[in-house]
Amino acid sequence: MFEFFNTLLIGITAGSIYSLMAIAIVLVWRSTRVVNFAAGGIALASTFVGTTILEITGSFWIALPIAMLAGAALSAFIEFFFLRPLLKRSGEKTQEIFLPIIATLGILGIIKSVLQFVYGDRIGVLTPPLSDRGFIVSGESIALSPLRLMILGIVLLLMIVLTLVFQRTNLGLSLRAASFSPEISRLSGIRVDLIRTLGWAISGAAGATAGILQTTNGSGSVSPEAFEFSLLLVFGFVAAVIGGIESLVGAVAGGLTLGVILAIILMYFGSSLVFFAAFVILILVLFLRPNGIVGVKGGRRA
Amino acid sequence: MGAVHSRHITNKHRFVGFALIGLVVYILSNIVDEWRAYQGATVAVFVVAIASIILLTGYSGQISLGHGALLAIGAYTAALTQIYFSAPIWICFATAVLMTALVGAILGMAAARLSGPYLAGTTLAFAVGLPSIANQFSILGGEQGISFDAGWPPLSLGETFTQYKWFLWIATLAALISMWWVQNILRSRYGRGWRALKSNEVAAELSGITIGRSKVLAFTVSAGIAGLAGALLAMTVNNVSPSAFPLALSFSIATGAVLSGVSTLGGVMIGSVALVAIPLIASSISDRWSGSENLELLLPEFIVSALLVLTVFLAPKGPIEKFRSRHSK
Repeated sequence: MFEFFNTLLIGITAGSIYSLMAIAIVLVWRSTRVVNFAAGGIALASTFVGTTILEITGSFWIALPIAMLAGAALSAFIEFFFLRPLLKRSGEKTQEIFLPIIATLGILGIIKSVLQFVYGDRIGVLTPPLSDRGFIVSGESIALSPLRLMILGIVLLLMIVLTLVFQRTNLGLSLRAASFSPEISRLSGIRVDLIRTLGWAISGAAGATAGILQTTNGSGSVSPEAFEFSLLLVFGFVAAVIGGIESLVGAVAGGLTLGVILAIILMYFGSSLVFFAAFVILILVLFLRPNGIVGVKGGRRA
Repeated sequence: MGAVHSRHITNKHRFVGFALIGLVVYILSNIVDEWRAYQGATVAVFVVAIASIILLTGYSGQISLGHGALLAIGAYTAALTQIYFSAPIWICFATAVLMTALVGAILGMAAARLSGPYLAGTTLAFAVGLPSIANQFSILGGEQGISFDAGWPPLSLGETFTQYKWFLWIATLAALISMWWVQNILRSRYGRGWRALKSNEVAAELSGITIGRSKVLAFTVSAGIAGLAGALLAMTVNNVSPSAFPLALSFSIATGAVLSGVSTLGGVMIGSVALVAIPLIASSISDRWSGSENLELLLPEFIVSALLVLTVFLAPKGPIEKFRSRHSK
């Protein structure tokens, strides 16, 4: 029972980070109908920015917001210079998603090789600001540590902020309107292009946070070919799809589901089944609900 | 070679073309050394793999980011057939195709219910998940994998006939046969059905195409071809192990398909040659400029990625279509 409780805690922490990545992917999908594999590269690049700032200033709490800004800037840059012209060219045909996927894969590759060029074999070290030694409960150390608590706190805070922005502000209303119907939004005076870039920027900030937290939760160091980041991208995307790709709540639900189930499998069945389990979970969810946990049966088909 | 002219190409012309390609490879195989022959065989493997993506994505409009896993199924099936039934090599290839097509049919049934990002996610998870379970079964040999030995070339070909030249012959023959078959099926009623499906599902349904069945069929055929590519890949490297089928392989195949032009089969050579040639070009560039190991590691990825982004921007339908449209104007 004790062990199971610990496994749950580990799963929730990992899952909350996947949720952030899933949110990054959902935001881009909602604003431009692009499956954004470059999100992994943006998270990686901004984590490197974070390690550099941490090296200079020595403070995690300065490094994190600057990394988020860097992620937002890079993400907006990619949208503005690559995806916007590409989508303008192809017209707003929604079913054509293969080419944007490939374009973002290409951008991911470019980001990774540029990072490799700049950093080479050096790795970025991200010392966590808090101890990762578990709290002691009735003489035994549990999996909840100050560091994990901090990770959960940051994720929770970001989700609250995002929810408030989306539900309570004009900006959030514009973001929702622009993704629901670009044409009508444009007619009612929303600058859809600007809003889309903003959607990408918020996604970049979420991805940057996911990258930083994934690194502190994991090995504490990052390299351009880090396995943790492929993991983050794949599981973030799977979580987004499980959640229904359209919904932020779904992304969180998907991320937590995936995190907890994978932690249980890792604990009781071993590591070689984890990836296959992710596939099975995805298939099962989509079999029961083809549009994800929170997905709405869309009127996309005529 | 305008669009008007190409309409008059008959199957006889195509056959001559295929035979010519075979002849060119035959002549080249007698000139080049072992290493080039190995690269030639790899190009043939990629031709088959990329064709399977083009059939699926370019014609039937379904996305797969998971073809690397289908290659793995083909490779393992071929190797197991050889180990447990000591079957001749062409039977190994045939079982690889059948087994992978079967898995493809099952995957296709799931895929036919899904669209866009859901399908991309499912196939991505498949690509990541499937090779990793090979460690669970001792019959599959764990991380080391199992060997697949296509055997030495028959003695009747002469004593100087090298191993890789033999592989090049087999791979080229397999690639030519499968390309012939693919281009025929694409022009059959099934192929026309897939194209109708891709351009407008509702219209296709109204003209009597059963959408679900047609999609599953496309997935099955594409998987079968991918299985052949996997068996050929296993032959060229003599071995099948989980690490030979990383996510990067699935991405490379998709990349090759885009470089070839995903909506036409005709450019399939371009992407395959690019995937094999780019690492070589990159290493010669980095040798000349700096000789730094770091540059040599990152340059292939950089060149492929940059080419991808450029292709998506400048020739989204692929180099062949670009060429055609320029000349027919």
